[in-house]
Amino acid sequence: MSSEFDVDPSLISTVSQFFSKKSGHEVVVQAEAEGLLRDLWQATEELGLPLVGVDEEAGGNGGTLLDILTIVKLAAQNAVPLPIAETHLAAWLLARSGQKVSEGPSTIVPGSPRDTLALRAGVLSGIAYDVPWARHVDRIVALVPDETGSNQVVEFSPASCVVTPGTDLAGQARDKIELPDVAVTSAASTISAEQLNERGALVRAAQIAGGLEAVSNLTRNYVGERVQFGRPVGKFQAVQQHVVVLAQMATMTELSVTRAGRAAATRPASFEVYATKLVANENARIAVRAAHQAHGAIGMTQEYRLQQLTRRLHAWRSEFGTEVQLALRLGAAVAEAGTFARIATDDNNHLEV
Amino acid sequence: MQLEATELTADELALQREVREFLDKRLEPGTYELGLGMTGATDPDFSRDLGARGWLGMALSSTYGGHDRTAVERLIVVEELLARGAPVSYHWIADRQSGPSIQKWGTEEQRQKYLPGIASGELSFAIGMSEPDSGSDLASLRTKAEPTEGGWVINGTKIWTTGALTATHILALFRTSEHKHEGLTQFIVDRNSPGLTISPIPFIDGSREFCELSFENVFIPDSERLGDIGTGWAQNTGELVLERGGVDRWMSAVTILEHWAADPAIRDNPLALADLGSLAAKEWAFHGLSLSIARMVDEGKSPVTEAALVKEMATRYEQDCVEAVLRHWDRAPDLTSDDPHEALLARALLVSPSWSIRGGTNEILRTIISKGLASA
Repeated sequence: MSSEFDVDPSLISTVSQFFSKKSGHEVVVQAEAEGLLRDLWQATEELGLPLVGVDEEAGGNGGTLLDILTIVKLAAQNAVPLPIAETHLAAWLLARSGQKVSEGPSTIVPGSPRDTLALRAGVLSGIAYDVPWARHVDRIVALVPDETGSNQVVEFSPASCVVTPGTDLAGQARDKIELPDVAVTSAASTISAEQLNERGALVRAAQIAGGLEAVSNLTRNYVGERVQFGRPVGKFQAVQQHVVVLAQMATMTELSVTRAGRAAATRPASFEVYATKLVANENARIAVRAAHQAHGAIGMTQEYRLQQLTRRLHAWRSEFGTEVQLALRLGAAVAEAGTFARIATDDNNHLEV
Repeated sequence: MQLEATELTADELALQREVREFLDKRLEPGTYELGLGMTGATDPDFSRDLGARGWLGMALSSTYGGHDRTAVERLIVVEELLARGAPVSYHWIADRQSGPSIQKWGTEEQRQKYLPGIASGELSFAIGMSEPDSGSDLASLRTKAEPTEGGWVINGTKIWTTGALTATHILALFRTSEHKHEGLTQFIVDRNSPGLTISPIPFIDGSREFCELSFENVFIPDSERLGDIGTGWAQNTGELVLERGGVDRWMSAVTILEHWAADPAIRDNPLALADLGSLAAKEWAFHGLSLSIARMVDEGKSPVTEAALVKEMATRYEQDCVEAVLRHWDRAPDLTSDDPHEALLARALLVSPSWSIRGGTNEILRTIISKGLASA
């Protein structure tokens, strides 16, 4: 059945071809050494991709949540080394707080329990950890409490921070930033920290879905070509099992992301979103192992594509919701509701996670 | 491979409400024997009540007493039944498999003879496939149907046939020639045919639905042959394997989970909550997979590989459901317990290995999926 959420097939093929052409193995290697590749960002921005899913009135490029989820998924399929997901989260947060968004790579402070960022009389200070891409972007956006405890959206330049560089498991920037009393403009936010976390979980799940599809395809092709004992290793049932598991993990994750996205586009959908992130995380764990096992030694080398994908999967798994956190919260919501079956059978189970 | 997301329409949601309202009254908790998914209790009265509501033979043509409903509508009804551990065994196989098979390959006479009784819940079918030397390798079947005046004479043994003792009919696959695949033909066998002896094979939990069928010169009129001679194999590997993607492949343990989720004791137990949350996320995901496949079937597509792909992982998930509850149980559950939920858990522990065997073992499914992926 067609739906208002269907993503234009021509968008999918254009974006897919673009990323596939622009983000080959060597490009990802280069980004790991050099950081944000400005030319690649420029080309992506010229297609208008990073600001899809943000209203035009706010300076975005319009389009639906499903459109931007598709874009980050396709980027992830090609291990695109750009902060597209982070720029979306930053722009979405700004737009939802009545702020204008502008071009250029951006990032979001994901918010960890250790963070101490706070706004006092228009002055931002404190520390934030694990901020993706922080040292390379044009602006950092954060949701911080002011002196009354209400949430404010603030925007600042990495140049105004003391940045302690770090990297995630995929070799991408993930920095500690420290703000020594920086005067910033702020806007009251209608978005809570929880809602930001939820949006982040959905976007990361979409990336995992893309990564899983790529890993699944790469593995299927490899075992069809690699010959041992006189025949392609994919002819062995034990190896076929890995290929099957990978297709299962990719299919389940992809469908869950789309379902959660469609729910989130129309109503509160914290259960669907967090269930999807948990499914994506667990599927990533299983798939990474299966893909590496099917590949053998070559998959462990940096000269081969697989690790560019699996290292990203590890990183995305650990952001905006880890397994035990998510499982505990989902379980508590289900126990509170006191019913298990209705979770699946109700189109909208109204569970708040 | 990509499955499309879909939601229930307003009409479908109305059907779901209607089914829930009916079942809330018809199956009050404590008034019926709780089942494990598709192997719920056998209750012909309940099956007839469902038939009277129009919830059996839903996908069958109204010309033959069916209801011209969609695969999604059938999914909605089945999901509500299994969610309650309803007594579905009497009609289960007829409703899911035999009815659609007879509608697709049967003669006009066969359709008129059987389909109204399947849709009303009067008739109960069992499947006669496996033999002592043929399980997953169906092409090696040996039980013979030999032509005779006006029909066929059957000799041989079928085993592991669920529900044969209470069934009115058996849809069985016999060898009609020595051709490996083209030598197999399906027949509709009356359960009371002279020469047919049905005896239980006690199942691992002590239940007696598993049967052996012994055929000694059993006569079957040619009018009970389903489809052309030699087409039995194709009938069993065709579109009907789409039922592999059904909700019954991940709902076998749902009544156990339902009871466990409502237990106040788990609210203070983080390990239990984490297990519950993890299973709930998967439950939600599997519902989406089955719904998507049903929608594809309604759109005239044939997601054979997708259905196999779902069944292979869904059955492992239902086994995980049992394990999760079990690891928080403080003693070995008692099969004879007065607490029906404990007895059900004990049964589930014993029978759950069968879930990834019945309807195509996971090993066979992986080969099917693998071939399907390679040709995609």
